[in-house]
Formats: sequence, C-alpha cells, structure tokens
Amino acid sequence: MALSLQGVEKVYSTGFKALNSLCLEVGNGEFFTLLGPSGCGKTTTLRIIAGLETPSKGKVFIGGRDCTHTHPRNRDVAMVFQSYALYPHMSVRENLVLNLRVRRLAQSEIDQRLREVSRMLGIEQLLMHKPGQLSGGQRQRVALGRSLIRRPNIFLMDEPLSNLDLKLRERTRTELKKLHERLQITTVYVTHDQAEALVLSDRIGIMNGGDLMQVGTPQEIYERPSSTFVAKFVGSPSINLLPVTARDSEGGLMLCLGRDGLDIGETALPATQEVLVQARKTDRLVLGIRPESVALRHAPAPGTIPAVIEIVEPMGSVNHLIIRFDGMAEPTIDGEPFVAVVRSNERFERGAVVWLTLRPDRLVLFDAATGMALAALSDAGTWRCV
Amino acid sequence: MRMTRTAPGAVRIPAIVRPAARHVWPTLLKITTAVVVLVWLFPVYWIVLTSLKPVREINSKVPVFRFSPTLDNYRDLFVRFGFAKVLTNSIVVTVVSSLVVMVIAILAAYALARMRVPGEKHVALWILSLRFIPVIAVGIPFYLEWQQLQLLDTWLGLILVYIAFNLPFAIWLLRGFLGDVPFELDEAALLDGLSRLQIIRKIVLPVALPGIASTAIFTFVFTWNEYLMALLLTSVDAVTVPVTIAKFIMPYTILWGDLSAAVVIQLVPMLIVVFLLQRHIVRGMTLGAVK
Repeated sequence: MALSLQGVEKVYSTGFKALNSLCLEVGNGEFFTLLGPSGCGKTTTLRIIAGLETPSKGKVFIGGRDCTHTHPRNRDVAMVFQSYALYPHMSVRENLVLNLRVRRLAQSEIDQRLREVSRMLGIEQLLMHKPGQLSGGQRQRVALGRSLIRRPNIFLMDEPLSNLDLKLRERTRTELKKLHERLQITTVYVTHDQAEALVLSDRIGIMNGGDLMQVGTPQEIYERPSSTFVAKFVGSPSINLLPVTARDSEGGLMLCLGRDGLDIGETALPATQEVLVQARKTDRLVLGIRPESVALRHAPAPGTIPAVIEIVEPMGSVNHLIIRFDGMAEPTIDGEPFVAVVRSNERFERGAVVWLTLRPDRLVLFDAATGMALAALSDAGTWRCV
Repeated sequence: MRMTRTAPGAVRIPAIVRPAARHVWPTLLKITTAVVVLVWLFPVYWIVLTSLKPVREINSKVPVFRFSPTLDNYRDLFVRFGFAKVLTNSIVVTVVSSLVVMVIAILAAYALARMRVPGEKHVALWILSLRFIPVIAVGIPFYLEWQQLQLLDTWLGLILVYIAFNLPFAIWLLRGFLGDVPFELDEAALLDGLSRLQIIRKIVLPVALPGIASTAIFTFVFTWNEYLMALLLTSVDAVTVPVTIAKFIMPYTILWGDLSAAVVIQLVPMLIVVFLLQRHIVRGMTLGAVK
C-alpha cells in the first residue's frame, strides 16, 4: 500500500474540527481523488499527507513507514499547489532543479532529468523564462514538472486545474490522465470539480464536513451512491430525489410518488427479502433517479406519470428538460427542479404535456430520515441492499 | 464634431470639454509641482554653492552668485577639524547598526509573519509601541547606563542604541512585507527540502527584496541623520557627522563654509543610496500598501 491514513483527526486551535477519524488506503500507482465541497477537509487531508499539517490524532503511513511526524522533505512526496507556488525570482530551469540541487544529485543526473521532464511536458523553450513571463497553462506545466522531476513516491495535487480556463482545463485534464497512465505514480488529487474526478480517477473518495462519505470507482460512486449527499454531488445535471412510499406487491417493491400515490413503473420490481424488510420499517423513502434514466413519451400509457415541460435547455448533443408534475409544486425533496436529459433530436417543446416513465437502471432508494442508501437496482432489475 | 480613431475598428467620441478648461488643470499642476520642487531644492543648491565659495564671498552682505569656486572649505574641514575621523565614525556606526538591525528584523518579522507565535498580534503591537517613546525620554537613562558600562563615546555604545531604536520600526515594516509573500512558496520550498533558514535566504528574501530595500533605507537614513543620542553619548572619539555640523555654529560666529562643506558630504551617501535603490523604494511602498 502506497499510502494509508488511520483514524486521522484534525482539530485546529480555534476548536474547529476539520477531519473526523479519517481512514483511507491508496494502492501503488493508483490515481485517487478526494472530491467534496469547499471546507469539507480535502485540502487538510492532502496537507497532512504532505506533512504541512500535523494530525491531532491518528497515523499516516507512506510506503508502509509511519510518517506521522516526519518532516515534509523526508516523506518523498511532491505537491502541485493550486496557485502553482513557482518561485517568481527563479527561472523555470532553477524552479525545476531546486530539489535536485538540495539533494546534491550529480550535475549529469540533474541535466538528464531536466531534459527528460522538459521534453515530456513540452517546456524546453521556456527554461530560461521567469514564471511571470508564462501563461497560466505554461505555469501549470512547470509546476507539474517541478514535482515530476523528483520522481516522488506520491504525487499530491491540490486543485491544479482550477486556475485555467475551461478549454485549457479540459486539455490539461487529458494530458494529466495520459501522463499518469504512462508513469503510474501514486497520485492523490483534490478537487471540487466532479467531472475532473470522474475522468481522472481510479477511485474517488467523497468528503463532507470532515467525513469520508464514500470511497469507490467513478462508476460505483455514480451508480450506487451511499447517501443522498453523494448522489447529489456527483453527476451533472444533478440526480432527481423524489419522495416516495413503497409497498410490497407479490414479492416485489411497488413505489408510489408523493402523496398522490402515482405508481412509478408498470409493474412492481422484484426485491431481495432484506430490502423488503428494510422498506417495511419506514414509510418515508427517497428515490434517486439520474436525469438520463427518465424516459418521456408524447402519449399516455399504463404506469406513466403526466407532466409538463417547463423549460428546454439545449446543450448541444442533448437537451435538459425542466419538468413540472401536475398538482405538485415541488416534486423533489430538496426543492430542486426535476430534470430529464433527452437527445437533442427528440422533439420536446416548452409547455408540452408529456408522460414520464423511469428506466429501471441507476435507481437508488434512500431512507428519507437518515439520507443513507437502502437499495440500488441491480443490472438484473432487482432491488438489492447497497 | 471630430471622430478620433483610437484602434482599428474602434471609434472614440471625445468628451465635450471646453478646449481652454482641458489645458488649465494640467498646466496648474505642472506649475505647482515646479514651485514645490524649487522650494525643496533651493536650500540644497544654496548649501552646495556656499561650500564652494571663498570665505569673503560667503560673508558678503549681498548674496553673490558669480565667484571663482574653491575647495578650500573642504580642505579646511579635513585638515583643521579632522573630519575624516568623524566621517569614519558615522559610516561604521550606520553600516554596522543597519546591518545588525536588518538581520535581526528579518528573522523576527519572518517569525511573526509565518509562525505560530503565542500572542503574536500583541507582540507585534508592543514592538511598534517601543518606537512611540520620545528619544529624549530615554536619553538620560541611556547616558547613565552607558557611563556605568563604559560605553560612552564608543562605536559600540552608539551602535547598540541605534539597534534598539531602529529594530521595532524595521520589524513592523518587514512583517508586512514578508507577510505579502505567498505562504505556498514557503511550503513548496519545505517540500523541496529547504530548511527554514534556507527558505528565508533563497525564497522569501529575494521575493520581498523591494520591501527589504526600503526598510534598509529607512534604517540607514535614520541612523545617518540622528543627532540627539549622538550628542548625548559621544564627546570626542565617536562623534558623528550631524553632531560635528552643529558644532560649527559657535556662540559668536557660524563657520558657514565648513558647515556647508560638511552638509554636502553628509548628503552624498544618502543620495547615492536613494538613487541606487529608488526603484525598490517605490515598489516597496506599494508592495506594503496594495495587496
């Protein structure tokens, strides 16, 4: 295991608790992303791994070695800062080789690594420039190069793309992915941008309020979120969270929308015994439906729900439709509008009455009281416990 | 109305201002600036002129502008009054005390700006409050102490006093300048394997150079011009330039020629320092003021 955090807590002198008993393991060569809203503790976690902060409790193991109180320079970790933190008075070349000079590497070794990294990142022409003379994208490459040239055990990145414009960010994201696939250096990446996390990561850890809410592959996080918070945070447009009630029906689970008792789906979907037991315990459930799992029809059919298209948002290849249900001011539990995603060649006009069905994939059932996931619909179309 | 082209494709419509009014303010501003500069520069011009005049012309009742310049006053200053010794005193005391102040102030300011110092804000304010004390209030106590310690009329005695006086202000100024250096630079350097002292020397100092230069100049100028403590604590061996200049004003006469020559000599190092570091001073001022 390249990195292991065991019960790490951080309480600041002001009494603010930034991390609650965090446990985390990152494998060799893995690209692990900490994703969460501002102030959730992801940067604090990264700084604790780097040694820039000391945990109030718990241990940090790097390469199997207890590094909880090891000085940052002895941890063999390199970090790319959000602001890049390039030394403004030094040339790009000096920025890149400072660490190697401090470690007293042979000049021939320094030159060889410098050539290698500058070629890899396409910054050979910039070596004599000062950081102030570079564009945002070039600075980002130099910051990356400064970390790469060290050949560290672990690569830490604190929102390294957030200062770039959208187009450059997407391009750099792809380059980062290529670079990681080529070098296979263990990477811990911090971001609040879920698209970055989904594209880059082998695994993602979702954080909120100092807690690690869920760890999993991008696919797992997207399809089987462990709570309404995770479900809401990942995916764009956001998941629709509908208040539902459930009743048993011939060994299956029949879901009814809101107080009106509108049946969702034509037939009850089979559920495991465990799910049925759980569902019986509570009458307040929340159904999570990804916007792309909503199917719309122009004509009524059994088991469909009538609705009106309020707004059409063309996004190029797809359209986002904001949908209002008849007689329901706020169909979702969080007051957000109900969104469906359809291909842009499907003709749905603003104000049109449509009939809505839910595709039995990517559906998740949550306990309304705790917000925790109860069951997810498996590929076989059966509700299974998460 | 005339249209003015400012850039290809862009047409700027000039504001409707009466042509006369448009020129009045800049002209007035230029005249005022010229008057202020003249008022400030005239004494300097006059003192340089006086230092080059023969004694007879200096004492003439009608100001003389045409005369044959002479270096007699300067020669007199060094031969009769042993000004070389006085100048050496001033240079040694100023350079040594300024250097010591800068070294201590940089370390103290870095600690206050970067590290978790208990009661940091109170410490910083307390340090600055030391500068509020009128110099004369501590003059006599210093005299008595220095008498006991046999530091009166010595370089060391004067250097210690100037370090004590300049340190609070230098720390206060530098704390602001060093605080403006992004925190991440220190952290990046820490990860690059640099020690704290290396970080200060290789990263923070070069980045905060404008601020450090302006602080150094303030310290240098204050020490170079200081009169009161030098008057109290020196008599023969460690007398500095300002004290010597004042001695040319005697009970029954004023030695204008020697006085002017000494003032000109005193001005030269300051002018050199300010001209050399002018760019840094201006940048330093704005660095502290504008975040």
